[in-house]
Amino acid sequence: MTDDKQTIALGLRRRDPDVLDQLIEQYQQRLYRYLLFLTGNPALAEDFFQETWIRVLERGEQYNAKSKFESWLFAIARNLVIDASRRKKFASLEDFADPETQQPFEPPDLHATSALQMLLARENQQAVQISLLKIPAYYREVLLLRFHEELGLEEIAAVLAAPVSTVKSRLYRGLAALKSVLTEGAA
Amino acid sequence: MNENLHQRAQRLLAESLVEGIAAPDQIWLGQHLRDCADCAREAAATQELLQALRGVPVAVPRDLVARTQLRVRLRAQEADESSRSGLLLWVITAASWLLGVLSAPLVWRAFAWFGGQFGVPRLALVMGFVLWWTVPALIAAAAVLYQRGVAQGFASHRLPRESKTRR
Repeated sequence: MTDDKQTIALGLRRRDPDVLDQLIEQYQQRLYRYLLFLTGNPALAEDFFQETWIRVLERGEQYNAKSKFESWLFAIARNLVIDASRRKKFASLEDFADPETQQPFEPPDLHATSALQMLLARENQQAVQISLLKIPAYYREVLLLRFHEELGLEEIAAVLAAPVSTVKSRLYRGLAALKSVLTEGAA
Repeated sequence: MNENLHQRAQRLLAESLVEGIAAPDQIWLGQHLRDCADCAREAAATQELLQALRGVPVAVPRDLVARTQLRVRLRAQEADESSRSGLLLWVITAASWLLGVLSAPLVWRAFAWFGGQFGVPRLALVMGFVLWWTVPALIAAAAVLYQRGVAQGFASHRLPRESKTRR
């Protein structure tokens, strides 16, 4: 793992295009998903995806291989989104997703074992997708980082540049908010 | 079973998901969930929610990776060229400065001869000499700053919106 991080750091310092190609390939799903969760908007997520990798190229020498590469990558992506929001594209992180106008994410290719399971799983996931768009982006973000990316609390704190206590409180509140929105949706 | 036990169970359930709980708490929670149908239902619903959250599918747009790789390669090339031309500019500036230092006595003599021939006041000669020295340095500094500004402007403004025009 450390060797991986060192190899990445070395490749980034050298601005090695092959290393960057490989990283883009490797982290495409995770970065795009994070941006999609953060912005709630596929077009914006796509733009930020490209911009994030350009920033990785330009600031590659700043990656010191002490932290996980994905934490550093997510932090870059997050800062870009926040910078864009400050350049008056959006009023705040909460405004990224408008539940009235945004569509849920693209439909899945499910590999469930039966048609009924597929249908149930799909309905459940779609309910979660829609509910996710109804909770504030800063809750959505920590939920993704914790339960999808399975980052530790300290790693999430590094991405957010916030104390661990803030991360915990957002996770608790985010879970509660998601449950509450799901319950409302089901009623 | 009183209300406090349920509240404790709910708290531990949430803590176990967010930050983990100690072994004795885990044992207590497991026991409580076996005894309390309501809390067990709540725990199952939460697990189902997380399962659904983990399973939220996201399809990366088909050619996004290829487009990004291309742009990153182009940007890397541009950065290399810019860095090479920047280095060249510094070398030229350094050479010009060195030449200026070495030729200063001769230039001053030339200014003194010119002043003697045409009766130019000494103050004007000194100012002319200072300008002879500072103008090239100022031009070089302006060129470096301009080049840096262009490179940064390119990096921060040109890139973001390209993919939108493709859709």
